[in-house]
Formats: sequence, structure tokens, C-alpha cells
Amino acid sequence: MSAGFAAFLFTLAAAFEWGDFIGWTEVPLILASLGVVFFGLLIWWRQDWSYGVDGKDSKHLWEPKSAGSPFQNIDIRKVALWMFLMSEMMVFTSLFSTYMRYRFGIPNCMTVFESGEWVEGTAVTCFEPAAHLIASSWFHIAPGAINTFALIISSFTIVQALRYAKMKDIEEDVRKRKVMRYLGTTWVLAILFLTLKMIEWFIGFPTPGPLTDLNHGHSEIASLYAEGYTINADSYQHYAYDTMYHDGKDIPKDSALYTMLQEGTHPGGQMMANIQVSATTFYVTTGTHGAHVLGGIIGLTYMTLKAARGGYTPDNAVSIEYFGLYWHFVDLVWVLVFPFFYLY
Amino acid sequence: MAHYKILGQDPYWMNFYGLMILTLIEVLAVGADLNGVAESLGTEEKVITLWILTIIAIPKFIMIAAIFMHLYGDEDSGILTLTALFPAFFILIMVLFVGLTHPNAASSLPDWCRPGNYGL
Repeated sequence: MSAGFAAFLFTLAAAFEWGDFIGWTEVPLILASLGVVFFGLLIWWRQDWSYGVDGKDSKHLWEPKSAGSPFQNIDIRKVALWMFLMSEMMVFTSLFSTYMRYRFGIPNCMTVFESGEWVEGTAVTCFEPAAHLIASSWFHIAPGAINTFALIISSFTIVQALRYAKMKDIEEDVRKRKVMRYLGTTWVLAILFLTLKMIEWFIGFPTPGPLTDLNHGHSEIASLYAEGYTINADSYQHYAYDTMYHDGKDIPKDSALYTMLQEGTHPGGQMMANIQVSATTFYVTTGTHGAHVLGGIIGLTYMTLKAARGGYTPDNAVSIEYFGLYWHFVDLVWVLVFPFFYLY
Repeated sequence: MAHYKILGQDPYWMNFYGLMILTLIEVLAVGADLNGVAESLGTEEKVITLWILTIIAIPKFIMIAAIFMHLYGDEDSGILTLTALFPAFFILIMVLFVGLTHPNAASSLPDWCRPGNYGL
């Protein structure tokens, strides 16, 4: 599965260049590598599907323990999962440090605009945080904010699923129903998360009629894609970087641009920016997180189906516990992604 | 599952409520007009917002890891917490020496930080 997944990522990356699809020759390899991944999953799930269902063969349910120091008597799978999560932490740290490096190393687009060191028609390289678009109104921030609450609630529902799976003093049917419902709710929330992400990135949504005033008078919330916030945006133009926007009333009076405009040494106009780096760091980091949510959805689909068969009992609840660790980690990463990529 | 209580209540429910409240504060902090506060502190509104977001993210991070991920209160919590902290060194290196450097870092570092100036 790991080899298949690595091949999938490699071939998928080879098929794209700056967001444009270029490699039809890669498609068979992409499909083949995906086939390897799903074949691996199929074999895994086929073996697990009947394991511990309805408490059958509970005497034979067995969880291997670690024998050596320092993890003596701790479930081996639990230790392995923590090791995996720590390697994941390093992946996200790399993405975060890259973001910080560019965020601090490249001048902010608003700073460049106010410095007046630009001329209309020539792109300047600057850092445009996605938050400039996302945090510009309550409506823009709504998908991200709802997603934050969705992930926290889903973290709680997975804990509840584990709690009921481990509960010994309830009837089998009640346990089965509760575990399935909580896992199902987690699945729905994960789907909601990705749906809202797609809306935010690609689709956008209309502003409710009476509330358009809260959206600067606009009747629609444009997606990031529609706003031109893409990884190949080398000529990005935001309305706020126009000296005519609001008749220039938004330009700070203590800025160099204001002085230049007053003295007539700057012709004004709309600044054009190359924001490829800032958009790339945003999409790669939030996309990597989204890919983890997608992985969680695949796992949750299987687990919900198994729960419907009564597959999780007090003797056989560790799968929910280990999946829960992964899911909490996904939530944990979002705790950092949301403020630093969406709000700041 | 947890063998302890928070303020006499179920820890998972309490943690859930706490996380919801902190997230609400985060969102409100971004929407709120903090210009007055920023001016009184002699800084920009963005800086104040960033401080609020950072300060709130820390307890949220700890609450999820400690209570939801059982790094507190279980028999194996101690050793698993140490395991979880293992990449802290890597994170420190990445954030301090990659994330917080800037294009002129190599030329603007103090002498004692540059090759050939170790006082040996």
C-alpha cells in the first residue's frame, strides 16, 4: 500500500505543471498505483471484516504487546501509531516552517502597495496571505469557521464512539446502534469539511439577500479560484490594490504611496502581483491537511459499515481508539492551520 | 477511557465545551475591531490578533492532545507523551532556523555565528 501510495503521488505530480494537466501518458500509471492502494486496503479489510463481530470468538481476540523497554506492556499497534503521528508532525512542521520562511522573507502585498514601489502593468513579487481574502468578511470566513467547529465536534463524536464500544453494561443492540451513529456522525462531519473546502476553493456561494450589506454590498462570495488566488497567479490583481478603490480613501495618510499621489510623483492605478509562492504554500499545506481528512473518510466509511455489523465490542474496540488518535491529530493540525492560514 | 473528572464532570464533555468556547473567541477576535487596543499598545491590529490567536492555539493544542488523545490520565500516558515530544527538537530546528530566517540571514548573522569565527 505504501509503495502504491508513493507511486500514486509521484505519477500524479508528474502529470501536472503549475496546476495544468499535461501528462496523459501518466494516467495509466496513476490508475495502476491507485489500484495497488485499494487492493491493499481490500486485503486488509477482508481480513478484518469478520474479526470480533458481535463479540464472537472474544477469547481469541488478541492485541500484541510490546515486550522491550521503554514501551513494555503497551499495545504494539498503539506505539506504532504514535510513531506514525510523530512522522506526520514532522511533515507538517516542514510545511509550516516553509510558510513562515516565505511569509517573513517576502514583503507583504499590502506593504508593497502602500510603499508605492510599483507601476501599473508590471508584476511585483509579494506575499498575499489567503487570510486577506478569507478574513475579509464574516461570510468569507464562514466555511473555515464552520469547518473548525465540525472538526472539533467530530473529535468528540469519535471519543463517544469509543466510549460506547468499550461500555460493558449496555445491551449489544444499543451498543451497536450508538457506535454506528457516532462513527456515522464523524463521517458526515468529515464530508462536510471537504465539501466546504471545495466551496471555499472552487465554487463560492451566494450571500443571503438581506445580508449583502455585511458583504460590502456584494451578492456573492467568490471562491479563491474565482478571485484569482491560484498557484500560477503571476498577474494577480486585487481590488484593494487599486488607487481608485473607494476613491483612494483606504490608502493610509502616513504611507509613502499617499504622499507620492499627493505630490503627483506616482501615476496611481492597480498593482499587479506575482503571488505564486504565497498561494502555493497555502494550497499545499491546507491541501495536505485535506488529504488527511480524505484518508480519514475512507477509514470511517469502512468502520461505520463494520460497526453496523456489531464489529466493535469492549474486547475489540482498539481500532476505534487508534483511528481516533489519527483523527485527533488531524484536528490538532487544523488548530494551527486555521489561525495562521485562514485568519492571519 | 478517562478515570478522572474535570470540575466533577465528564472530561470529554468538558474538553469539548472548552474547545468550542476557545474557537468562538478565535473567530470573534478576527472579526473584532482591535484598532483601539493596538493603538494604546503602540502596535498594529494584526499583531494583537496574531498574539490572541497564538495564545488560544496553545491551550487548544494541549487540550486535544492531553484529553482526547489520552496523553494525560492513562497508565501509558507518560511514555507516550515523551514519544509525542520526541519531534520537538526537529520542530524547534525547522521553525527557528528555517521558518524564522530571512534572505539576509547569512550575511547579517553576528560574527560568532559565522564559519571561521568560533574563537578557536
